[in-house]
Amino acid sequence: MTFSESKEFQVHSSSLKEIRVFAREVLSKDEIFKSTKDDVVLALAEAAQNIVKHAYNGAATSDNLKIEISYNNNQLKIDLYDKGEPAIPTNIKPRDVDDIKPGGLGTFFIGQIMDEVLFKTAATDWVNHLILIKNY
Amino acid sequence: MSYKITEDGNIATVHLDGEIDMDVTEKAKEIIMPLIEGGKEVHLNLKEVQYMDSSGISVLIESHQKAAELGSRVVLKEISKSVLKVIMMAKLEQILIIE
Repeated sequence: MTFSESKEFQVHSSSLKEIRVFAREVLSKDEIFKSTKDDVVLALAEAAQNIVKHAYNGAATSDNLKIEISYNNNQLKIDLYDKGEPAIPTNIKPRDVDDIKPGGLGTFFIGQIMDEVLFKTAATDWVNHLILIKNY
Repeated sequence: MSYKITEDGNIATVHLDGEIDMDVTEKAKEIIMPLIEGGKEVHLNLKEVQYMDSSGISVLIESHQKAAELGSRVVLKEISKSVLKVIMMAKLEQILIIE
């Protein structure tokens, strides 16, 4: 099985539900994703949330973000593109999970769920390009 | 997200329903925090919460810490399987009060 689907969403917290619906639909294509679907949807939604919160600092914008979900050679790849403030990959670290405080868990969840997390810069018309990979 | 609040003596039970993400966390805090600040022991029934992300988990931590600060507590009740999984991923099952 091989597929690739992409969709754009407005950069806003109200788009997060729509993003989860899109991801659930795509990951319902095959039984192979059944046991990990909820986790992957969470990781993707956390990454999208980080764009709203950090790349745009929660500010109102008419910009879109783009999500592409593809599967090939037993590897699920999720590409997220945005035009917010350029991310500084070295600054994006999960917080110490033993330090109990509100906030900062999203990156930790992404790291727990996905096998690889990669940042690319200057991706064509976009500013930030985040890649999440899970192997099956 | 929708909610229902019932009160019995000093215990206020908040039944949350739906998906709790960044878009509804302010609303969730507006519901829960005044109860804690009003001296209530707050029970959060999470049976009908199908999805919770890190923002929702932050509300649980913040509520727990605020209640502890005021000498009260927030108790999580009937946690759905999907929410429990996220709580465990955050390693909070020993920190938050779960009954």
